Amino acid sequence: MTIWGAFGRRVVQLLATMLVVSFLVHLALQSNIDSVAVKVLGQYSTEAQRHAWLVENHYDDPLLTRYWRWLGGVMQGDWGMSRHYQERIGVLLRPRLAASALLAGLALAITVPLSLALGVAAGVRAGGPADRAISALAIVTTSVPDFAMAAFLVAIFVLGLGWLPGVSTMADGVAWRELVLPVAVLVLASTGYLARATRASMVEVMGQPHIRMARLKGVGPVRIITHHALRNALLTPVTLIMLQIPWLLSGVIITEVFFAYRGFGTLLYQAALNSDVSLIQAGAMVSVVVVVTSQLLGDLLQRALDPRLRTA
Amino acid sequence: MAMVGQRTPRLHSLDGGPLHPDVAMLAAAADAGSIDRRSFLQHASWLGAAVPLGACAAAPGPSNDRLRFVCAVQAISDPALSAWVEASNLYRNVLEFLTEVDADNIVRPALAESWRPSADLRTWTFTLKPGVRWSNGQPLTAADIGHNFDRWLAPGSKSVNRTALAAITGFERLDDRRFALHLARPLCTLAEQLYSPTCAIVHPGFDGTRWTDGPIGTGPYRLTDFQVGRQARFDRRDDYWGPPALLRQIDVIDLGPDVATHVAALAAGQVDMLYRIGVSELDLVERLPAARLLRHPSAMTICMRMKIDQAPFDDIRVRRAIQLAADNAAMLRLGHRGFGILADHTHVSALQPDHGSLAPQARDVREARRLLAAAGFSSGLDLSLVLGNTTGRWEQDVAQILQQNLAEAGIRLALKVLPPTEYWSVWDKVPFGLTSWGHRPLGIMTLDLGYRGGSSWNETGFADPQFDTLLDTAMAVVDPVARRGVMAQAQQRLRDAAVIMQPFWPEKFTAVSPRIRGHVLHPADYFRLERVWLA
Repeated sequence: MTIWGAFGRRVVQLLATMLVVSFLVHLALQSNIDSVAVKVLGQYSTEAQRHAWLVENHYDDPLLTRYWRWLGGVMQGDWGMSRHYQERIGVLLRPRLAASALLAGLALAITVPLSLALGVAAGVRAGGPADRAISALAIVTTSVPDFAMAAFLVAIFVLGLGWLPGVSTMADGVAWRELVLPVAVLVLASTGYLARATRASMVEVMGQPHIRMARLKGVGPVRIITHHALRNALLTPVTLIMLQIPWLLSGVIITEVFFAYRGFGTLLYQAALNSDVSLIQAGAMVSVVVVVTSQLLGDLLQRALDPRLRTA
Repeated sequence: MAMVGQRTPRLHSLDGGPLHPDVAMLAAAADAGSIDRRSFLQHASWLGAAVPLGACAAAPGPSNDRLRFVCAVQAISDPALSAWVEASNLYRNVLEFLTEVDADNIVRPALAESWRPSADLRTWTFTLKPGVRWSNGQPLTAADIGHNFDRWLAPGSKSVNRTALAAITGFERLDDRRFALHLARPLCTLAEQLYSPTCAIVHPGFDGTRWTDGPIGTGPYRLTDFQVGRQARFDRRDDYWGPPALLRQIDVIDLGPDVATHVAALAAGQVDMLYRIGVSELDLVERLPAARLLRHPSAMTICMRMKIDQAPFDDIRVRRAIQLAADNAAMLRLGHRGFGILADHTHVSALQPDHGSLAPQARDVREARRLLAAAGFSSGLDLSLVLGNTTGRWEQDVAQILQQNLAEAGIRLALKVLPPTEYWSVWDKVPFGLTSWGHRPLGIMTLDLGYRGGSSWNETGFADPQFDTLLDTAMAVVDPVARRGVMAQAQQRLRDAAVIMQPFWPEKFTAVSPRIRGHVLHPADYFRLERVWLA
């Protein structure tokens, strides 16, 4: 299949996934519609008050009618109103996505070169002291959950040493010092994993006949890595990095919430806690787009790295 | 803190007229030592007596300082519908109340300079302070106040004021600064109730929908930025009618629900004041140089309550068994590290002046087992308790102790933990739930809201006409000793019905920067920020 054919198929797939996900989310959220009224009117509102509010706001319409109304709005670029934040969802999403993109972008910009370098260094000489040290470090950082890592770093750098700010609200614009801890948590959480994958891939490639042949021909170790091994060894990590992108955007919820960082993660978290139906739906759509787009990018990168895929 | 033996102070009325006849009776009771000095001052303040202010540190003049206060920033539609104290701490900067209740539960003048109840407590005459102006320059008039009472008490009103102030049958404007409230039955606590968060006085032009859209108020600050879930900003009004606020700017910052994050922000000097911390943050805050711990006893509590119209809780033997198996002392010691005072399943605190003391009810696991067997559960009983940690993780810790207590009586209790906001969707529906109840200056206010038959906040379904009559009686009695006697009967009826387990009254904590001055922790979590300054 040509590259454009694959691309087109992915776009269709994307739209179909969005449609299915939006309907499922709609279905799941509408099952407990009474809780929406509670969140608007407060926990001490009476049954009658809640019912009146639901009728006033057309929540008593049939499920399909409401889905249809929502879909119609989205088609015209209107994501609706966030009930919790009392703001148009389009307006709300943009800065939040930008904030998360900044956090995720910085984390990726550090994680990718760091993990590849560590993975290659470990994989070139499997079983050597560098490999052991890197693998041990990777296992330790990967096995500590995000929230524990965040608490650990705060205990040292905020409460103990007093070097860094404890929250990252960015209330007065971008403050680089406030980004240090959340980025560090994300980097520590994913570097070990990627480094180990790169190492495994590297070990496998280094054992291949063509590398041995190059060695026998007297090619230097640096040239073997850069010209013969790296390209093949990158296939698995690239796929994994592409899988990290959706994780970074939606899976950073714990980190964002912990540091009160106003990104997409905290937005979705608050939306879920407050049964903000329209916002959860919009967030789910954004997540679907990010997941499918990063998969598509991963496919394209793999094609670029592996010529066999281009003729398949 | 009892100060019995100290000479009872001589009081005069707020409006300069003769004191209400019951004040003399209160003074005699105080002199005789049957009520303490604080209780005397509180009761006299209800009846329109002027209570002198205690000594407090001298505040500097207005400064250019900015205060950063960590508190949830929630959407505010209409203050009269507000269900969150946090929201009231925002509009408290812009709006004012007719009265104010200080941290010692004494009622003080606010927009009203005086109130005068009739001898039978059924007609209350209020006089507004002179020279009060709205932020748009208009003078505050009695008609404006009438507008507020009308919206609270209108037949279609969704405000909880409609229940709490149900005794009011009419508002009468006497002149521009004076009005009278007519009541169907005596209500001695009226002046105190007018400081409920839902009783903030709004401008007659407010349409009841989005209060945060350019609100007009009589208060010392003006709202200049409002973003739900993020922050709100208040700037000092230079044209305020009263003494100017000390801080130039107040930033309310929403850092999400995790208190550990709030403490980290305080430690790093990013904020100056926290709304609340839990018992689990206590040790950390005590060690931090950048934090000062504030603590206060409070009548805030948790109730593990049963819905009496749902099986197996429709059988009083089951409810009694559960109550008898509960170990209040263990719940306080292990669930809240002993910080607080023991309760006795009556939802009235010994810290509240109307607390009637009952003979303590001892834990009796053997009797609990006998009652369960009689109810047909000799081989044990499976129950599940729903909770939402709405005031912190300690709720779950307490529930786990209860789980162990009940196991001794053969009850297998499962805990179902929901996110806090989810719990508020089901708090009055689940058969067995753990609900947190806010502080109220008087126990009778809680009993009236939570246990009167048919009250909209009645989460147990408890309905007892004799209990309701006792509440009506207690509300009409000024004499604290007599009221405690009536309350003891009401509390006994409530405990005998075994609809709740209310193990203890937790102490309340928060943390502020060591620079904060002039701030007194209010037991009801009310933050009056215009009197705060930074050293």
